[in-house]
Amino acid sequence: MSRKSSNGLWRAIGISALASTIVLLAGFGYAVKDMIAPQASTYKGEPAAEPAPPAEETSLSNSKSITVAAIGDSLTKGTGDSTGEGYVKQVVALLKSKYSDIPVRLGNNLALNGLRADQLAHLLSTDKGYRYALQQANLIIFTIGGNDLFQIASGGSTNQSKGDISLEQVKAELPKGIERFKKVVTLIHDINPKAQVVYAGLYNPFFDLADMRDGSLQVQKWNEEAYTIMHQYPNMTMVPTFDLFERTIGTYLSNDHFHPNHDGYGQIAKRIVQSLE
Amino acid sequence: MDRLLPLIQNETLKIWKKKRFFVVLLVLLVLIPIFTYAQMKIAQTNNKNFKDWRNQLVQQINEYQNMLSSDRIPEEWKRQRRIAVQQLQYYLDHNVNPNSPNGVTFTRSFMSNAVTLFYPLLVLAVASDLVSGERSTGTIKMLLTRPVRRWKILFSKLVALIFYVSLTVVASAILCYLISGAVFGYGGWKMPVFTGFEINGSTVESTYVHAVPQWLFVLMEGGLIWVSSMTVAILALMVSVLVRSTAASIVTMMAAIIAGTILSSMSSSWESAKYIFAVNLQLTDYLAGSPPPIQGMTLSFSLIILAIWAAAGLFVSFRVFTKQDIMN
Repeated sequence: MSRKSSNGLWRAIGISALASTIVLLAGFGYAVKDMIAPQASTYKGEPAAEPAPPAEETSLSNSKSITVAAIGDSLTKGTGDSTGEGYVKQVVALLKSKYSDIPVRLGNNLALNGLRADQLAHLLSTDKGYRYALQQANLIIFTIGGNDLFQIASGGSTNQSKGDISLEQVKAELPKGIERFKKVVTLIHDINPKAQVVYAGLYNPFFDLADMRDGSLQVQKWNEEAYTIMHQYPNMTMVPTFDLFERTIGTYLSNDHFHPNHDGYGQIAKRIVQSLE
Repeated sequence: MDRLLPLIQNETLKIWKKKRFFVVLLVLLVLIPIFTYAQMKIAQTNNKNFKDWRNQLVQQINEYQNMLSSDRIPEEWKRQRRIAVQQLQYYLDHNVNPNSPNGVTFTRSFMSNAVTLFYPLLVLAVASDLVSGERSTGTIKMLLTRPVRRWKILFSKLVALIFYVSLTVVASAILCYLISGAVFGYGGWKMPVFTGFEINGSTVESTYVHAVPQWLFVLMEGGLIWVSSMTVAILALMVSVLVRSTAASIVTMMAAIIAGTILSSMSSSWESAKYIFAVNLQLTDYLAGSPPPIQGMTLSFSLIILAIWAAAGLFVSFRVFTKQDIMN
């Protein structure tokens, strides 16, 4: 290479490298300043999340599209279903065939394993994400109460805690649980009064255990009270599930002996879709 | 200053003619489109499954929360998830999309993901044979028989190295932006990014959280990457002074860096690992507010550790280079 062109090359590399170094050093200096002596400044943000258009009609068949939001406990999460669908995805699939001329989509499934009604109420009143997901839905499906009644801390550990569930405990938890449930329903109504709301009632997963068989009576009491609460709102409805898990426990319950299996969820999904017009 | 500038010019041009920097650019030109494509696929799936980014964010938070309730997950992961949940929640509460797809966002996340392994690797491509390469080709004798003080020779090599590290960082950012922008659009300069999350145990303190425009965030990232790359470069220079063969020098440095990466992912149980330079390379994490590999590490801590390693590396390099006998 001739001396001249190599000089030009040197100049090009030297200048761009020097410029890059200076820019990067400036960035480094700013980063250090920004992190070591941070200045609190409140970010005013974009205008608050505008709630997407909520349902305009009360009947799903008249809507232009169906957006489903699911909230609740491990049942809504789909725990126990080896395919991972749970009842929520099966509901969406059934809705797609039932309302084949309008688009159906699952907005969000925000279920949390082991959630109790008081925790759900807390989330509904404080969490913007929940509000956002519910506001844009015109179908809200949820399950809650199983953990309140059976005092099971988390969906994963049902087997360990099964031992210390007594009928007395279930009885004692019932009134408290119902109070919490009422709060949840009120909050859902506050957030989105227009959407169709379907609640899948409780069942007794321990029907086949002799000393827990009477738990079904408590479950029925819960279902009755829950129905009374939801009955006040014409857009809300409740589907029963208790009968699915009595004599057919072996067919519809999963190996953890608490959550439904894929077919069990399928039955719940069918009932939810049947209840919708 | 006499003769120093021509020496630097000489070293800079030598690296250029060895085509090492072309290799770096070529690697970037191959890899960035691959990552862009992967990112595009992810964006397409998300678009199909979610109505907008808020739904997606809400679902992500929900998934992390579900992980938190699982008994099988180690406590360390849970801590990270808890922190991530609080940060995502912060974005959601302020109605800012943390991953809005555009060229600048892609550049930002590419750079912060590349800081521990990818940038050191690129730097090694240039730095590892600076001295050992002269040995294996025998040109070192010619270099040292000239009437120039030895420290000036090493110093000019160091300056040339700084040049190429800077060029590598800047070139990677520019290429990232240009290539990914073709797919995601060239916007996003002013998008707000939150920084200043303080992590105490598993809670996030948001007193000092503030928004910076994304271009500034990328610039800060670039500065921090430059510092950690420079540390790697200086240590590589030291190794190339100490070790005869270039291959040995690359392997030594690579082993140290990979070991550091592995350590940072499992070192919560071994606390003094935080004094190893390779555990401190991920400076950009402090900016984004991700939890540090070992509890209690801060930006100043990492910077001091890196500075000590770099100073020691320089000291050893100059000492050995000026004193050792050259025989081969």
